[in-house]
Amino acid sequence: MKIVIVDYGMGNVRSIVGALNYIGQEDVLVSNQFEDLNNADRLILPGVGNFSQAMRRIIDLELDKKLVDLVVGNNKSILGICLGMQLLGRASTEGELNFGLGIIDGRVERFEVEGLKVPHVGYNQVIFNEMSRLYKGLSTGPDFYFTHSFRMLSDSSIGASTCQYGGAFVASFELENVAGVQFHPELSQDNGLQLLRNFVELFEC
Amino acid sequence: MLRDRLIFGLIYNNGAFMQSRNFRLQRVGDINWLEKNYKFQKISFSIDELVVVDASRNDKNIEVFASTVRRLVEKVFVPVAAGGGIKKVSDAETLFLNGADKVVINSALYRDPDLVKQIIDRYGSQSLVASVDYKMSEGECCVYIDDGSTLIEASLLEYLSYVESLGVGEILLNSIDKDGTGFGYDLDIVSQYCSGLNVPLILMGGAGKESHLLDGMKLPEVSAVATANLFNFIGNGLPNAREFMLSSGANLANWNPGCR
Repeated sequence: MKIVIVDYGMGNVRSIVGALNYIGQEDVLVSNQFEDLNNADRLILPGVGNFSQAMRRIIDLELDKKLVDLVVGNNKSILGICLGMQLLGRASTEGELNFGLGIIDGRVERFEVEGLKVPHVGYNQVIFNEMSRLYKGLSTGPDFYFTHSFRMLSDSSIGASTCQYGGAFVASFELENVAGVQFHPELSQDNGLQLLRNFVELFEC
Repeated sequence: MLRDRLIFGLIYNNGAFMQSRNFRLQRVGDINWLEKNYKFQKISFSIDELVVVDASRNDKNIEVFASTVRRLVEKVFVPVAAGGGIKKVSDAETLFLNGADKVVINSALYRDPDLVKQIIDRYGSQSLVASVDYKMSEGECCVYIDDGSTLIEASLLEYLSYVESLGVGEILLNSIDKDGTGFGYDLDIVSQYCSGLNVPLILMGGAGKESHLLDGMKLPEVSAVATANLFNFIGNGLPNAREFMLSSGANLANWNPGCR
């Protein structure tokens, strides 16, 4: 199993590599070379930070169209994490260059609720559908680590799980070969390790 | 429901880990000692976050510190915040590249707010924990920087509001008077000074036993409680503390240990 973490220079990918190694995945590469991405069995799109800066870097590396081709055209399995999850959506209100990759019908907006502490930081419970592959083997309302000021909302059926913080937002989505999680599985102890294991085992290309 | 967090802190000084008391440092052991006495990769499943701070008084060497962080966080699957002596964006980058998920900034909040803004622009506000140290003096709550050695001219209330205005993601509030005493947190200060904060608050300084952690967590203003007391939570101290807190109804995350 070849897993490639898409490298566009945003965030700490060491802990993702560490978590994948821990669950027995040794063939993990951090790369932005098309050949590597094309040869991968699973892609992971990580990221923390600013949405438009991230899109700018992805476009500068000419990865935007290639990622869409691989995931939509070739059914390559991908997991977006945190900002990486948001980038799979259509658009964000964060920054100037705010069109995402548009693979998932979701929009990204800032938490704007009176009296709500922002960013949303800490472990919070996720409500998932029992058909979900991502949460297989986990008990009801598992805790995952969130840290973000913007969150995804969607009116479409994208296999979403939800989390409550000033109202419900998309904690994760899963459609065939495409999954995204707003939280950090690599920073969520046993629960996160299980989720990564599920992505690796249950999201065939 | 958003959970409260139990955070473990480690104070680093020139290659060793320290017990701090009122910001005076006592050497406890090096990373080998730590790994032996804290079975780190095991007890890390009992905490929600790790904060590692370089408190070396002179020349902080960020490269050496970062390599220690890197070794420490292997097989640790909770967020890691690291800091101490960050003077430029590339210092923060060094820590991020070595396993930190957030950086902790103290003196630069006051001395170099532009640096704080640059880090936030690049990595996002959630990546920056603002550390604020204070001490009581003649009934006044005074703010100190430079590892507690330099008094600055601002009241705690003014300073907290200034720090929040920089766009930081969290505030780590540490009482120099309570630090390492094991007498419990400075609880009064929280309701007096922190009720207006719109960013998560981490309370530190003074926890000596499980019930202290619980007392801090009960305050509505507090999102997380931290302890860096290496002596009082040695061995199974942290797993026991978590168990005690959960059985006392604390709002902490639950794990599925079967999935490890």
